[in-house]
Amino acid sequence: MTSNIIKASRLLALAMVVGITSLSSTGCTQRSEITWHEPGVYKGSDDPLLAKQQDPQHIEALKERFIMGQSDR
Amino acid sequence: MARMKFLCDADRCIECNGCVTACKNEHEVPWGVNRRRVVTLDDGVPGEKSISVACMHCTDAPCAAVCPVDCFYTTDDGIVLHDKDLCIGCGYCLYACPFGAPQFPQKEAFGVRGKMDKCTFCAGGPEEDNSAAEHEKYGRNRVAEGKLPLCAEMCSTKALLAGDGDQVSDIYRERITKRGGRPETWGWDTAYKKGDA
Repeated sequence: MTSNIIKASRLLALAMVVGITSLSSTGCTQRSEITWHEPGVYKGSDDPLLAKQQDPQHIEALKERFIMGQSDR
Repeated sequence: MARMKFLCDADRCIECNGCVTACKNEHEVPWGVNRRRVVTLDDGVPGEKSISVACMHCTDAPCAAVCPVDCFYTTDDGIVLHDKDLCIGCGYCLYACPFGAPQFPQKEAFGVRGKMDKCTFCAGGPEEDNSAAEHEKYGRNRVAEGKLPLCAEMCSTKALLAGDGDQVSDIYRERITKRGGRPETWGWDTAYKKGDA
């Protein structure tokens, strides 16, 4: 019984130490992936569509689609 | 390289709102957000004209010019897109846009609350083409599938055209030649007609 109480109090003490250590170290680290803003420069993720738009087959497919679906009959 | 453009032929638009419905359905756009809308001038008066309006994918887009976080980018064929991960929902783009295209969702239903939403010319966003993330934030990416905007493809009277600007202007020029004149929807007669205050 007494050993259980001692065990529980040790665990509690350990948890408190871990908690206090993690709380006190909050904000001490430095983020390395900061994006610095530059006026007029897009710094978001790259759109895979941009590469696809260079494909002549894709360009031709869109042109054919336009003629097929939107030209006057 | 093609330059993608929308054009609404006011002489053909019958205000059916099919384009609005098609857009809403295709991209699962939530209530309160209208990427496309039909505006009618002189509603109820003989000679009324309707035009379907959305983001016009401007060459020198004012939304991009005023964006404080530069979340806009333009594709090689002139489609103006934006990254919702960068957008802070400030609303400057709405003030700058002459067409009222930028929309801001009120509820947590489409992307993240407060992020700007607008017509993407059915070209999605910067995420992987037609991925779940892209669909949730921007809707379907039809251009990546070799298709054109559904609003134009669904237009029953072919009033709304969407595609390469050269092809669009060829069709419109041919129509105008047949009609023998251009519509006065936005002309001098509309701007300075008698009876206006």
